[in-house]
Amino acid sequence: MAEYKLDCFGEACPLPLVKTQKKMETMNVGDVIVVEIDHSCAMKNIPDWARAAGHNVDIEEINDGEWEVIIEKTK
Amino acid sequence: MKISNHPLYKTIIKDAWSYTTGAVLLALLNISMFAVGGSPWGITTAFSNWGSWVFRSLGGEPEKWAFYAANKGNFNALMETSFFTNTQSLQNIGIIFGALLATLFASQFKVKKIKSWRQVLAAVLGGLLMGYGARLSFGCNIGAFFSGIGSFSLHGWVFGIFLLLGAWIGSKLLVRFFMT
Amino acid sequence: MESKKRPARKRRNQVPIALGLLLLIIIAGIMLAGVNSMLAIYWIFGISFGIVLQKSRFCFTASLRDPVLTGSTTLTRAVLIAFMVATVGFGAIQFKALLSGVAGVPGNIFPVGLHTAIGAIMFGIGMVIAGGCASGTLMRVGEGFMQQWIAIVFFVVGSVWAARDFGWWSVNVIMPTSISDGVTKGFHLPTAFGWGFAFFGQLIILAAIFLFADWYEKKKLNKVPLEN
Repeated sequence: MAEYKLDCFGEACPLPLVKTQKKMETMNVGDVIVVEIDHSCAMKNIPDWARAAGHNVDIEEINDGEWEVIIEKTK
Repeated sequence: MKISNHPLYKTIIKDAWSYTTGAVLLALLNISMFAVGGSPWGITTAFSNWGSWVFRSLGGEPEKWAFYAANKGNFNALMETSFFTNTQSLQNIGIIFGALLATLFASQFKVKKIKSWRQVLAAVLGGLLMGYGARLSFGCNIGAFFSGIGSFSLHGWVFGIFLLLGAWIGSKLLVRFFMT
Repeated sequence: MESKKRPARKRRNQVPIALGLLLLIIIAGIMLAGVNSMLAIYWIFGISFGIVLQKSRFCFTASLRDPVLTGSTTLTRAVLIAFMVATVGFGAIQFKALLSGVAGVPGNIFPVGLHTAIGAIMFGIGMVIAGGCASGTLMRVGEGFMQQWIAIVFFVVGSVWAARDFGWWSVNVIMPTSISDGVTKGFHLPTAFGWGFAFFGQLIILAAIFLFADWYEKKKLNKVPLEN
């Protein structure tokens, strides 16, 4: 049950999402990834993709215009 | 009850709207603009004018270029020479301020710093390609794609098909060269 | 999850700044209206477009990029909805102009030819690399994206560069390859194929692409792991 962190501050779409997908492919079921973003569009498209792919997702606004998307790999 | 906890504040001002809401509102705004102003939404013609105004103030003569000399509308816009008397320029500045306003009301404004030289290179190349491409095809994703297809113009459809092809090539390049 | 237990950082409330900006926007609007009401109208249109683009995170770039990159077509379908609504509204405006006997069809109808394809491919590559199209770049400039601050400067440079070369393109590419004649005359589908056929045909094609996009996403996302 490892936890990974992905720093995507300052990056525009689609890089945060592509990096998240790449990282998740290397993770085991049950592992958690915390993606740090400050791009308001990634705040929508990363959770949308993760939910559609069936993973557990949580979003937290950690600062003005900064979010953490927390994804637990389920399959 | 604090305003920031009010459910209406949360749904309308704090949270993101659905893409479909955005789609319908953008289409209605575009239709309204067409009805009120006589021509539909466009963005990039003003960008050419901004550059040409600067070029002119440096002693260049853009009015001799066919783009301006052969097109009365473009020529008149060039002669307006200022952000504050040109409708499309004001509209573009308005888009920037509208987005800023919405971000501030949601308390989500943050200056997103540049992390690597790759991002700078991507912005320079991407910007140049978009600017040049939009002039060749008579419009951008708004003027040629959205408003072009809306206007039942064949160029809008052709633009859309090759835009998809360009996006596919761009995606390959992005993942290959611009991912840190 | 450990990350959730970390105390939240101190956050500022940006609403007072927003109210100040709103006041400035209104004052600017009143001043513009004093010069010419059209200026104020376009100012308000711009503000409204900016708000809608930002709030809905609408992104034309993603609508064309995500199907090939991630398999998602959520935005593609939203764009198609926008096109369908615009088709109905624009059709009504054009048809009304036709009935009133105005010469020429209003709207963005421009020549189509090799230049359209070249320009679109350049634009498509550019928008994906820069992380935003024309509307998206402006919206992200307002959101505080420094990368887009650079992109817009070079967007302007590219635009003026092409405006300088436009004469060459007109003579060598646009006029020889356009299926419509001249540099300013375009190909209007209803004029060529009739109103009923073009209007309903366009709506049906847009709807068909919508259904295809929906099917495509389901097919792509059911494949796990993703192939990127």
